[in-house]
Amino acid sequence: MMNKKVQWILWAGLIVILSLYPKAFGIYYTNLFVTFAVFAVYSVSFNLLLGYTALFSFGHAMFFGAGGYGTALALKHIHGLPLLGAVGIGLLAAILLALILCPLVVRVTGSAFSMLHLAFGQLMYILALKLRNITGGEDGIGGFPIPPLNIPGIVSINMKAPENFYYFAVVVLGASLWIMWFFTKTPFGQIQVGIRDNAMRIDYLGFKVTQTKAVVYVVAGAFAGVAGSIFALFSNLIAADSGFGIMVSFGAIINTLVGGLGSFFGPIWGAAIMQILEEVTTRYTDRVELVAGMILIIVIMFAPMGFAGFLRWAKLKWLAKTAGKMNVGKVS
Amino acid sequence: MDPTTAMYIAQGIHGLAYGMILFLVASGLTLIFGMMDILNLAHAAFFMLAAYFCYQFLSMTGSFWAALLLAPVATAFFGILMERFLLRKIHAFGLMSQLILTVGVSLVILAGVKIFWGTESLPVKIPPILSGLVLIAGLDYPIYRLFIIGLSLLVLAIMALLLYKTRIGKIVRAAVSDADMVNALGINIPLVFTFVFGVGIWLAGVAGVAIAPILTVYPGLEAQMGMDAFVVVITGGFGSLRGAFIVSIIFGLLSSYGVQFVSSLAPVLMFAFMAVVLAIRPMGLFGERE
Repeated sequence: MMNKKVQWILWAGLIVILSLYPKAFGIYYTNLFVTFAVFAVYSVSFNLLLGYTALFSFGHAMFFGAGGYGTALALKHIHGLPLLGAVGIGLLAAILLALILCPLVVRVTGSAFSMLHLAFGQLMYILALKLRNITGGEDGIGGFPIPPLNIPGIVSINMKAPENFYYFAVVVLGASLWIMWFFTKTPFGQIQVGIRDNAMRIDYLGFKVTQTKAVVYVVAGAFAGVAGSIFALFSNLIAADSGFGIMVSFGAIINTLVGGLGSFFGPIWGAAIMQILEEVTTRYTDRVELVAGMILIIVIMFAPMGFAGFLRWAKLKWLAKTAGKMNVGKVS
Repeated sequence: MDPTTAMYIAQGIHGLAYGMILFLVASGLTLIFGMMDILNLAHAAFFMLAAYFCYQFLSMTGSFWAALLLAPVATAFFGILMERFLLRKIHAFGLMSQLILTVGVSLVILAGVKIFWGTESLPVKIPPILSGLVLIAGLDYPIYRLFIIGLSLLVLAIMALLLYKTRIGKIVRAAVSDADMVNALGINIPLVFTFVFGVGIWLAGVAGVAIAPILTVYPGLEAQMGMDAFVVVITGGFGSLRGAFIVSIIFGLLSSYGVQFVSSLAPVLMFAFMAVVLAIRPMGLFGERE
């Protein structure tokens, strides 16, 4: 469809837009974009489980929270920790949690998987609330120092300036997205899709279903942890509700379904749509819940494949119209 | 009787009362799931709606009994509307769309409640005959808690009779095990679905009215009950009324004794119990399906 040259131009255009974005839109929209990027990465990591491996988790927030709390606790207690080290600790915390859980959860499928995650997710939430002397209870951990980004001998960038943080977040989250995209395109990622469609067949082909699921599970948890870590750094605060809360778990589900299941970019669309809607509705009305509820109902009733599904449908329509003129290639 | 025993018994009564209310909510959830494969995340929202209806009917008629009778029915009416005009249309799209739809409905109900009644907590007064204490065997019991236990047992008895002694109950039980087959036998399954959904919501409504005088009526009711009822259904096993009953009572007692002995960790107990049960039996205590 798209040749290499056009692709490169598009990529270059995206990078130019992203780098000029803070200058063009000002501080408020810059921060908004960082929030969007955090939840986009988080939702994509959720979709690695749901869309690619058909593991429907009700508690994906626990990795988000683990990343956030990991980073926040590390910065609070370890003096002079570099920025990337803090993000790394958040990542490790999420991976550790995933490694502890995966022997248990990858054995089960379907609703049992969802329910176990609901249980563990809520357990984490309540622990975060109740272990007050470690996690700070409802107030969470806030006001921890944000170290500058140090590349020894070359540069030291102050991360407290929102604009600098924007670039840092965009690079880290962009890299995460790229790695996840790459991950789904490897032969290993294809096995994942195979497991989603027919696990028994993959088993008979000689691949290890349970172990594959475990790896995917850990990878998904790890990137949710990165998103949580950046989120904690960005707001300089992580609390039980914003980290482990049930609405964080549902947020990923909603973003994925609104955007479109089974498409890599679907959750990103979803995150963008939900972010814009929230922004617009909070500006004009304080009935945010009502609008959000209505939107969910309308999306499910009239566009059950989400926004990505709608785009695909529109593309097919357009292709059908111009089919005589051009060669119809792969549409996906 | 010495005061320590008295305290244990009082806590036990509180636990039982809460467990029974939990069961009323959870039984509707588990019935709906067992039969229709719908995880109704709006169930607790209907529970809260019933509490608000109770407040409204009480302030209109002045009679708690009228509210107890009317509020659950009014709530069930809204539930039936939702089943008929929303859930039925998307049944083909599977579990996830239903989840999102029901989340949407619960958000709309929450917002609607805030628009009509505001966010402050509204008191519900119980009739004098139910307030106060009653002396049995040298111990004081709060009458209202005993009333809740009695009411729940009554509802439970009616449900059991309906399920096991009537024709419609037979159809419902058959539909739980294989809805398609029952449909093929010429029974109007969509209608039965609507009926069961209505009954499930009605049960949540009774629980909502029963709890209104204890906790007062406020929007947070939904979150408070929703998670507990959901955990009961999961731990007891989806679609199992017996499991829901046993686990409700266990959770009621766990929460009341938990608050007494390890107050800060009381909410953890429930989820820890659930995690242990699910780790051993992923389909829940009495669940049969994955």
